Amino acid sequence: MKNLVWIQGLTCNGNSHSFLSINDTMLDVFLSNINILYHPMLTSEMEFKDVYKLLLSGKESLNFLVVEGAVNTKKDEVFFQGFDVFEILNNLKDKSDYILAVGNCACYGNFPALYNENVKGLQYRFKDKGGFLGEDFKTKSGYPIINITGCPAHPEWIVRTILSLNFGYDIKLDNLNRPKDFYMYLAHDGCIRNEYFEWKVEAHEFGTKEGCLFYELGCRGPLTHSPCNKILWNEKSSKTRSGMPCIGCTEFDFPLRSKYFETKTNIGIPEEVPLGVTKRAYIMLSGVAKTFTNQRLNKKLEDTD
Amino acid sequence: MRVQKIVLNRVEGDVNLKLCWDQNGKISDAYVVAYNYRGFERILQGKDLLDALVINPRICGICGHAHLMATVNAIENLYKNSSIDIEITEKAKLIKQITLCSEIVQNHLKWFYLFVIPDFLNFFPSLETEKFKPFVGEKWKKALKFSSEIVKVIAIFGGQWPHTSYAIPGGITSEPLKTDIVDALSIVDRLIKYVEEEIFGMSYEDYLNVKDLEEFLSKSKGGDLTTFIDFCVKTGLDKEGQSYEHFITVSTVYPCINEGVIKKKKCKLNLKKIKEVKDFNILYNKETGYTYANGVRYDGLPMQTGPLARRLTSETELFLNLYRLYKDSYLVRVWARVDEILRILINMKDWLLKINVNEKSYIKPKDYKKLYGEAFGYVEASRGSLIHKVKVEKGVIKSYNIITPTMWNLGSRCNKFKSPAEKAVLGLEDPLKAQMVLRSFDVCSVCLTH
Ligand code: SF4
Ligand code: SF4
Repeated sequence: MKNLVWIQGLTCNGNSHSFLSINDTMLDVFLSNINILYHPMLTSEMEFKDVYKLLLSGKESLNFLVVEGAVNTKKDEVFFQGFDVFEILNNLKDKSDYILAVGNCACYGNFPALYNENVKGLQYRFKDKGGFLGEDFKTKSGYPIINITGCPAHPEWIVRTILSLNFGYDIKLDNLNRPKDFYMYLAHDGCIRNEYFEWKVEAHEFGTKEGCLFYELGCRGPLTHSPCNKILWNEKSSKTRSGMPCIGCTEFDFPLRSKYFETKTNIGIPEEVPLGVTKRAYIMLSGVAKTFTNQRLNKKLEDTD
Repeated sequence: MRVQKIVLNRVEGDVNLKLCWDQNGKISDAYVVAYNYRGFERILQGKDLLDALVINPRICGICGHAHLMATVNAIENLYKNSSIDIEITEKAKLIKQITLCSEIVQNHLKWFYLFVIPDFLNFFPSLETEKFKPFVGEKWKKALKFSSEIVKVIAIFGGQWPHTSYAIPGGITSEPLKTDIVDALSIVDRLIKYVEEEIFGMSYEDYLNVKDLEEFLSKSKGGDLTTFIDFCVKTGLDKEGQSYEHFITVSTVYPCINEGVIKKKKCKLNLKKIKEVKDFNILYNKETGYTYANGVRYDGLPMQTGPLARRLTSETELFLNLYRLYKDSYLVRVWARVDEILRILINMKDWLLKINVNEKSYIKPKDYKKLYGEAFGYVEASRGSLIHKVKVEKGVIKSYNIITPTMWNLGSRCNKFKSPAEKAVLGLEDPLKAQMVLRSFDVCSVCLTH
């Protein structure tokens, strides 16, 4: 079995808890294929210092190093189990087959990086390349840091990526080092409000099943790479399905924006339009869509035929 | 005097315990040390008020939902303080309470099985205890399965757990169907069965009538709580780990949690008496500081908050009796957390059945950009009382202050008193027991330093 070690920098532990919310089928498969040599919240037999020694001496191999939380390019700033995270990473970076940054803090720095320029993600600081490990860093396997973004990352994105690598599949990464299998989708794909989006029927208020949240209520679904509406959260739902706008938490700029519940507009037109279309085309298209009244979409859902 | 540094695992976040041992081999002083400060209170300054709904859940991965509720609460109180109308339907209130409580159940289940029980594998290695072993034990896996189940209730109403912001000033963003409620009900029902069968070994009706430890043991057909009590009695942890006899609960969750303060006797809560202490926080005091966390005092006194405090301020007979005999020992503190799982689940079922889907989910309040002044948000989180205080000018945050439950229990000391957790390990002779007693406070350094 391949070894996995999970360490934490500046984090809320949300990715660990997301990971632990995995369904029991996936958990069983995961645990029977991957040996979790260390996880700070879970392991009871070994302490990190002993695991660390085994890894440094080469007595145990390190196949997957999972990093949760932002790190600091200065020494003595962030600690994990009594060790400086700065040193742990420098000592383990060339010993790991794969390093996975799990969650936006480890990928881009996220909230902890907002007011401290030394706080970074592993290979990025927001959208700038050259995080903690530098732009060109690659692990033994030839992969750069694999970014499983999200605040937090979805448990299935984490588990399925690790299992894919474990089963010997090559994984394709996008230009922000995220596995394409997940991040080629947009949060918009699979949203149950899509019909409203197409016909430009907007929700003016929260608390309704009807209407798309894009035009007024800040939804980032058409601009956010994430399969939230394809691989549902907790196997039940997603933000947009429950009427909350997508806040774009899988993107590098997530904490740089503000007014998450409003759409920034310019003379009534959203400042940012769905990925892949020009603003002009979008304005034309939505203008046309508006001229057709889709009767179905002007009623309460319960009252439609 | 010998000084020993221990790094804790199986807690939330990264915490060190510095122990001072006297000549007789007993702990004479203890320091709970937390690093990894992220500065959320600073991050919030100057931000748009509603951004706090998105930022604050990220303070903590395990009780982020409680931080969301405290934020919403504070903002709704801002409206009230400014005499601007804000109306919230009974339906929205019930659903928020249900999701908040789902998070508490999730926490207690994980904490008992993943953090607490594995310590006993060191004392009693046997086939029986192997069931609780991380990653392989069937009991360990089951607890994880059911903690993942209960957060589905949050997902049904709020889209996901962790880190949704579906609760907003004026209500909630979702409009659940009757069948969604049935979905949630079936999850809660299944959990109640699991808890009855595996943890308590008796029906919930029987458990709610139990008045003391003997009665519990005689009625239980042998659940994990029985095993746990047995472990505690054998190791002396039924009596060890006591701290100050002061408890605080700042908000009421009708009908299962009542607010109040206990200083020798129960008295009325006066929120004005709450003060933060910073004398031993490195951020404010380079010389004396030893941790990145503040402490909190009520009327100058350290207080314990959390499930045991909630049981005592709610005057639950079983816990009044346990407390009389065993004080706030390791056993009683842990039992109170486990007890709460069932008490809350029973009420959740009731609240789910009370939801009237025809009511509105959300009533749009007046523009928040008109808001000025300051307000508090009080919420019961898994680990105890959580307080947010926001100051606002024209809908922009001027300052934001957060007092987390762990700051009450494990925050820095003041000149007169150690924190309740630091006090609770004094006199112990075994470093493992010191760690266990600390864990009985449900340590979360993430919230502690935020
Ligand atoms: S609510 Fe958001 S994700 Fe859903 S259809 Fe509208 S824009 Fe797309
Ligand atoms: S829907 Fe958007 S905000 Fe929600 S989890 Fe997915 S990417 Fe993040």
